Amino acid sequence: MSQHNEARLPLAFIAPGSEVRLAGLGDEIDPLQREQLTAYGLAETQSLKVLQQKPMTVILADQVELALEHAVARHIWVVS
Amino acid sequence: MNATTANAILLVGHPNVGKSVLFHRLTGAYVNVSNYPGTTVEVTRASARFDPQAALLDTPGVLALPSRSDDERATMRALLNESSRCLVQVGDAKNLRRTLTLTALLAELGVPMVLALNMHDEATARGVTVDIPALAEQLAIPVLATVATGGEGIGELTGSVARAGVADRMLRYDPAREADIEALAAAITEHAPHPRLAARGLAILFLGNDSEVEGWLREHAGDAYGQLDNLRKNAVDRAPGDLPGLLARERTEAADALAATVTRRAVNSSPLLSQRIGQAVVHPLWGIPILLAVLYAVYQFVGVFGATTLVGLLEEDLFEGILNPGFTGLVQGWFGEGLLSELLVGDYGLWTMGMTYALALILPIVTTFFIAFGVLEDSGYLPRLSVIANRLFAAIGLNGRAVLPMVLGLGCVTMATLTTRILHSPRERLITVFLLALAIPCSAQLGVVLGMLGGVSFSAVLIWTLAMVGVLLLAGFLAAKLIPGRRIPLVTELPPMRLPIAGNVVKKTAGRLKWYLIEVIPLFLIGTFLMFALDKVGILPAIIEAGEPLVSGWLGLPKEASAAFVMGFLRRDFGATGLFAMADALDPIQAIVGMITITLFIPCFASLLMMVKERGMKTAVAMVAIIVPFAFFIGGLFNLALRALW
Repeated sequence: MSQHNEARLPLAFIAPGSEVRLAGLGDEIDPLQREQLTAYGLAETQSLKVLQQKPMTVILADQVELALEHAVARHIWVVS
Repeated sequence: MNATTANAILLVGHPNVGKSVLFHRLTGAYVNVSNYPGTTVEVTRASARFDPQAALLDTPGVLALPSRSDDERATMRALLNESSRCLVQVGDAKNLRRTLTLTALLAELGVPMVLALNMHDEATARGVTVDIPALAEQLAIPVLATVATGGEGIGELTGSVARAGVADRMLRYDPAREADIEALAAAITEHAPHPRLAARGLAILFLGNDSEVEGWLREHAGDAYGQLDNLRKNAVDRAPGDLPGLLARERTEAADALAATVTRRAVNSSPLLSQRIGQAVVHPLWGIPILLAVLYAVYQFVGVFGATTLVGLLEEDLFEGILNPGFTGLVQGWFGEGLLSELLVGDYGLWTMGMTYALALILPIVTTFFIAFGVLEDSGYLPRLSVIANRLFAAIGLNGRAVLPMVLGLGCVTMATLTTRILHSPRERLITVFLLALAIPCSAQLGVVLGMLGGVSFSAVLIWTLAMVGVLLLAGFLAAKLIPGRRIPLVTELPPMRLPIAGNVVKKTAGRLKWYLIEVIPLFLIGTFLMFALDKVGILPAIIEAGEPLVSGWLGLPKEASAAFVMGFLRRDFGATGLFAMADALDPIQAIVGMITITLFIPCFASLLMMVKERGMKTAVAMVAIIVPFAFFIGGLFNLALRALW
């Protein structure tokens, strides 16, 4: 039986190559930037693939590549 | 043009989904199209090929509505003010979810619409298949697959415009939100009905704090606006969180649900070559060597091939060898040795200076630059630079997004100043406009600099480059400290890397060259005439004498170089070309100091006007008052330092 790890981790901590699900956007993110992220399609339960973490976090979400500064990625919570 | 705005068709969609390419296909009109978001910053209109009575409007890309950024506000104004008969939403076929999030809002506006799912080829290559008939049935509007770059689906799209219909609503909001929307929609219907847009759509946008809709309602509701505003305040108070955010989330969920029912994805498809290349260019290890290789290739093509080989062929062989002696002989034969001959073929002659500078020195350089720039644009490489440059830009209070106007500035500072609208805060825009005006040379000037300093030595090019980067960082650092506000962290989409399409590059180059010839040649001729007039009335020699302490004493240049700085007031590249023309009289240090000073000088007259338009007269005057003395100050410092060290 498979076990799911439901611990929430910051997106900035996830190793490149991993696939995760979005659990929530932290309140620390600027409201306008939250709207921007929602407009890019980052909604809860959305699956994301982390492509790289340096020099910025780059993710693939629904065939769209997004680059996020660590200051933002640190406040995006994901579950594996 | 026969088209009227009462019969307008609006192209609306997210940034970088191909609206402008589609616009070109449907109208034949050229728009500056690039493979990065934010290319279109204003509404462009032209007659539709398929219906000359209809005006087709290309609107700036919207990341989301309600509008927040300048380009989103421009699109919202078009929706509010244009008498549109239908909307064509251009969406990204490989990301239906995001496309439908916007559809969910546009559908509420009650305007007939068509949905074009563009870049269908890229979706197929990624294993994404959309059940288009099922989607069309769900939305009750025509839905088509298109590949605008290849012209696929364009015929079907033009045919479907006549069948455009009002889309079915994609969702009913939470009951409490629905009650607020309905109450507000009823009040809008009573006090400020829109001639085309549904009151319900306006209510949703108003609740989402759309400033353009707010302004429109304020203007049209008169005294009743207070009632609308109270309804919104009550809705905000009742909402269990941020109201615009709640509404946006419900639209996203509805889009998610619909997209899931009509999209199929191939399982575990391996990354495409374009995706691998896209990842390599922003890779922490490979990104920098790739950037250096790209810069070297551009230098070889523009600085060596364009500025040396082509300029040599045109200037030395064609103009100096054949055209100018022939034309001079002809003019002097007709008019003798008088004033008219001097005006046409003298030292400051309209032909021997103005046209020779514009056609023989600058044209080959800007042509090669525009080709190189077009290839980079079309490939999708430029937005990826924002990832590599982000840390550098953080040092000057900006984020990597500012790299786009900066790189565009290497093409044309005037256009780049306009595209600072893609930046999110006034502070970022102010800093970027200042740095563009100060330290970013346009293509013509860059080519002249590469041509002149490349002829001196690679070290000369390197010193000039380091000087520009150093000034950019120093000035940016100081500006970021002095201008209040905080830095916004970067969040950006990275469009897919694509093999540049030769036809697109040729079209872009031709469009830019046309603009160049129309803008630059008259200015070069006016500038030459002014120089001629100043020379004849004795002012130019007086300026040269008066400028001697500064130009010769501080900068260490021959006193005749003052004339180049006078020319530089009209266009920096005109001034730089003036120095280029006297290259034989300059030693290596003088060449470097001259180019550093003229590069930091105020930009061309056209970009000065754009600065006034974008940032206001007061700010533009303040920038010029800082930039001119700063340019001479830095030039003089380099003169002292290089003479001490070299």
